[in-house]
Amino acid sequence: MRALSTAATGMAAQELNVEVISNNIANMNTVGFKRQRAEFQDLLYQDQEQVGSQSDSTGTVVPTGLQVGSGVKAGSIYRITQQGSMTQTSNPLDVAIQGAGYLQVQLPSGETAYTRAGNLSVNNSGVLVTDQGYPILPQITIPTGATNITISQSGLVSATVPGSSTPSNLGQLQLASFINEAGLEGLGDNLWQVSGASGAAVVAQPGQNGLGTLLQGYTEASNVDAVSEVTALISAQRAYEMNSKVITTADQMLATSVQEKS
Amino acid sequence: MDNALFVGLSKQITLRKELDVVANNIANADTAGFKVESLMTANDPQTPWGATHSRQIQFVVDNGLARDFAQGALRQTGGTFDLGLRGDGFFQVQTSGAPSYTRDGRFGIDAQGQLVTAQGDPVLSDGGSPIVIDPTKPAPVIGEDGTVAQGLQVVGKIGVVRFASLSALQKQGGGYYQNVSNIGPQPATDTKIQQGMIEDSNVNPITQITRLIEVSRAYQQVANLMDTSGSVYDEAIQRLGKVN
Repeated sequence: MRALSTAATGMAAQELNVEVISNNIANMNTVGFKRQRAEFQDLLYQDQEQVGSQSDSTGTVVPTGLQVGSGVKAGSIYRITQQGSMTQTSNPLDVAIQGAGYLQVQLPSGETAYTRAGNLSVNNSGVLVTDQGYPILPQITIPTGATNITISQSGLVSATVPGSSTPSNLGQLQLASFINEAGLEGLGDNLWQVSGASGAAVVAQPGQNGLGTLLQGYTEASNVDAVSEVTALISAQRAYEMNSKVITTADQMLATSVQEKS
Repeated sequence: MDNALFVGLSKQITLRKELDVVANNIANADTAGFKVESLMTANDPQTPWGATHSRQIQFVVDNGLARDFAQGALRQTGGTFDLGLRGDGFFQVQTSGAPSYTRDGRFGIDAQGQLVTAQGDPVLSDGGSPIVIDPTKPAPVIGEDGTVAQGLQVVGKIGVVRFASLSALQKQGGGYYQNVSNIGPQPATDTKIQQGMIEDSNVNPITQITRLIEVSRAYQQVANLMDTSGSVYDEAIQRLGKVN
């Protein structure tokens, strides 16, 4: 009886769905988090009578055929890269990206990762780092005692250093964009890595080449919408229940058959 | 002589197949662009062997699968490449061999910038070529007629086609259909594309659960009938077999 395994695929798919939704809800307050969506596809069909095959020698054609499906599978988990809303923090080292693009982060391994979480700070040597302490590329050092740190829309970092009355230029932040940003590989900690599906990083100044601009004193909130996640959770739970009902029914029918010979 | 048993069996076989179809509908209640299916059955009249009168026995056979192509509800997602179809058209997808057709508009772009389906196959334009998005230009806006524009520049037009006879379509899994007839599709000019929307599966859960109950009850009834007809033989054998 195929119905048993078909319903099992349905239950497994809804389980994954709940996992993805719960991860979205758990990261509702994670800076720069992008919500994800499990995408389902129907499984292969078994042709018991092919559409359009001839049913007799005079050329009569089967009009509809008989194809029975074998359930559902998870196709992919798609990341929805919609802009999150801006939260004001008034911290001069917080930058939010308005529009497309990622900040470049140097990992301890020397590789480059990408992030949209712009809650930056400085480490003990004055280097601009992420909240895990990884330096932002191109590296920018803020001298001790610097005041009035400003990050312009186009990424220019300047500050007033002791002994000077005019702001001095400390460096230029750059953003990276990808042909297919949904194809980036997640590393956790808000970091993403280039994959075969994302295409190579294209680095430019903020505001150029279709990249977004920077907004100092703000962070980008996650784009998770609590109401739609909870609605999705409810519908996933109901779908799970329905699939389990199919298993019960198939089981009852099998039991009926077994009892016939008593 | 065992006709009641065999007629009952023919019904049970179709009920089991129907359960498989209902199970597949329920499993795909959340699959975008999925179309609900139901099993069609027919009478298969047979004259019993050695019958002296013309009364026929009506067996049940499954003779096809009906697919309801009714519009599914459009759900808002806000995704740039989520496209919902309103109307009876299909997107064209480039697959090995013949093109495939789908109503599942959860698209994305691949490493070459091509507009692709969730499985990574290129979505075709009205001219039959893949659509390439330039990442350095503004986010694409897709119009109701399928025109893809980045800023003021039009980069392509998504082709939407319709079939005169939907029974020419064979399911491939993954939301894909293939055309198995010789009649090609026509451009569907009255089908509208909605950006930021997905067409939900048109499975109605309540109908499917009701069908599930019906199938299971019918199966039990037939089992009872077969039981009863079996006990008739039992009794006949016991009574007639008594010697004294």
